[in-house]
Amino acid sequence: MNILIKSARVIDPNGKHHNKIRDILIKNGIIKKVAAKIKEAKVKIYEAKNLHISIGWMDMHANFRDPGFEYKEDINSGCRAAAKGGFTGVLLMPKNNPITDNNAQVEYIHSKGKENIVSVHAAGSLTKAMQGKDMVEMYDMKNAGATAFTDDKNSVQQNDVLKSALLYAKDFDGLIMNYPNDSSIANGGQIHEGTISTALGLKGIPAMAEEIMIDRDISLCQYTDSKLHLSYISTKNSVSKIKKAKKQGINISADVALHNIILTDEQITHFDTRYKVLPPLRSQSDCTALIKGLKEGTIDVICTDHSPEDEENKKTEFDNAAFGIIGLETAFGLIGKHLSKHLSLAEIIEKIAINPRKLLQLESTKIEEGDTANLTLFNPDIEWEFQKADIQSKSVNTPFIGEKLKGKALAICNKGKFLEV
Amino acid sequence: MERNKWKRPSNIDKFRKMNELSVEHLLGIKYLTAEDISLIFKMADNFKKIINQPIKKVPSLRDITVANLFFENSTRTKLSFELAEKRLSADVVNFSSAASSVKKGETLIDTVNNIIAMKVDMVVVRHPNPGASVFLSRNIDAKIVNAGDGTHEHPTQALLDAYSIREKYGEVKGKKVVIIGDILHSRVALSNIYCLQKLGAEVSVCGPSTLMPKYISTLGVKHINNLKDALNWCDIANVLRIQLERQDVKYFPSLREYAMVFGINKEILSGLNKEITIMHPGPINRGVELTSDVADSGQAIILNQVENGVAIRMAVLYLLAGKVKKNGE
Repeated sequence: MNILIKSARVIDPNGKHHNKIRDILIKNGIIKKVAAKIKEAKVKIYEAKNLHISIGWMDMHANFRDPGFEYKEDINSGCRAAAKGGFTGVLLMPKNNPITDNNAQVEYIHSKGKENIVSVHAAGSLTKAMQGKDMVEMYDMKNAGATAFTDDKNSVQQNDVLKSALLYAKDFDGLIMNYPNDSSIANGGQIHEGTISTALGLKGIPAMAEEIMIDRDISLCQYTDSKLHLSYISTKNSVSKIKKAKKQGINISADVALHNIILTDEQITHFDTRYKVLPPLRSQSDCTALIKGLKEGTIDVICTDHSPEDEENKKTEFDNAAFGIIGLETAFGLIGKHLSKHLSLAEIIEKIAINPRKLLQLESTKIEEGDTANLTLFNPDIEWEFQKADIQSKSVNTPFIGEKLKGKALAICNKGKFLEV
Repeated sequence: MERNKWKRPSNIDKFRKMNELSVEHLLGIKYLTAEDISLIFKMADNFKKIINQPIKKVPSLRDITVANLFFENSTRTKLSFELAEKRLSADVVNFSSAASSVKKGETLIDTVNNIIAMKVDMVVVRHPNPGASVFLSRNIDAKIVNAGDGTHEHPTQALLDAYSIREKYGEVKGKKVVIIGDILHSRVALSNIYCLQKLGAEVSVCGPSTLMPKYISTLGVKHINNLKDALNWCDIANVLRIQLERQDVKYFPSLREYAMVFGINKEILSGLNKEITIMHPGPINRGVELTSDVADSGQAIILNQVENGVAIRMAVLYLLAGKVKKNGE
């Protein structure tokens, strides 16, 4: 595939073409030339209004439910959703059936995603069957391609298990991720503990359930002198705890799910299960602190936590409904709508493309001659309405249908392929 | 239509023309206005007169079919609803299922839709999950009366409690009511707080801190730790049943110790500087939250609450049934 991208504003904060309008020539998956004007015969030309280009976006937390729950999503449909949203890479959480807890499962996921334009990366579970007890064969799985290890929403409760994992992963530079949530405090909670949970009689998940475990995780990370990534941060105090730890030089990083930044528990007033997510939607002051944390660099990554669920798991009593919303297709439009007044375009690209790739030690591309063409083309200012017809995912559990969004991916380029989305 | 020929007591007919609830279902007190509550009370006044007559039955709900769906155990609430329905001449069907055998929402919607398919106009539902009645009201085609949904609301209980206060004191406005016991797991407490506040009463709660929602003050409710202080403050004490079955964690060491700290006995009451009214939604754990000499004393209006429960439920069913008929006509 050879293509000439015309007059695109390059968003590549660490590169020499940053914020300049460039023509980019791609041949056989490699960036051949970047210049103000390129003339090339016999090549497909791509041009669009207000065209911007960055390295390919990478979602650090997505669930494609494959194998095991293919009726909710599979690797192909998930990749279509990712492509539609402008993501050229996804890190898939291990909660499948069977769980991604051995090298064969990692290989299955990678082989199924191989032909797709979207790069599929599997995260291995941290413990066998995500039971929180025995470590998986991390070394073997890393060799098979597992990019990180996490028990995802099954936060590691037992201190010594996480301690061992942090120590063990040091020897081969594996990335351990943990979602901080103390299950004895969260104990069956359904939504954020606060005014709304009190008024509705729904069991609350105190912010403290997260914060108490962040304290522990920071201590473990410091003790083991290892590195730890904290997933799905959602409270104001969590942000300040991480900020402090980073200041002390502890090797900690963090991400936040987009919906936790832009929605609050006020949405749940009518028991609307579309807003049931974990960690729960919290208060406005938490959202404000999360945005500040992103701006200051305390939080490194924005993820979608794309979690497809079928209708039966959502159209039910609140306590029985599944946690989660799908997020790949709406992510960039929501970021543009809600965060563009707080974060610059370069900062946004850092949170959704550059930092996740750095943390996961993926090939770190730039937009310069000779680099691999792993790119997302987008218009950050276009306003559009998200419709059910836009959904490529097999599931439709999103509260954003009919929502006016700002910013849209136009095309992606990866693995020598180019796709207009 | 045939049923329009039925002559209702003229005063009730007049009310129906003049007054209507602002809601389509009774899902919780928080969805009602103060006017709705007054209307229900006025209607209950009429029904209370009727059920104290030798002929207790009126034909108001003839041709209306009501299904009582109880997905959680209940004796008195179910009985009270059933009596209310029968005294209004409704056709009544009952469905009971222990919480454990109802697994998921699919079963709930399917179960209820199956019953609705048999042409049921109204559904009285009790369910262990908070918001279950709200969920049903959005997914099925019938008028819903919430008879208790998990730890969310139990609106008819709150209405009958407030009605009983109104009956004793003439009005609810300005009264001080303390709710004592397990507030954390109580739908009765939540509905009572909403109802009493809407009617202008002042509400406090009292009980072990382990059984208090952390953010209870955001509902405009004061937490009084000490039982004696709470009783000295209030005009009315609404004492809740300690529900050991709804607790998944130990919130206090033993019933014995609970009774020592929060149980109400004659001695405490006679040590107060005034005579307060004791209420209890039942069933009472005698010797735990109330001693027998308190429960059976003249200060307690527990049996009045039970009697008023039927009148209140008749009023609610009647007002909602009016909406069923209009849609069908």
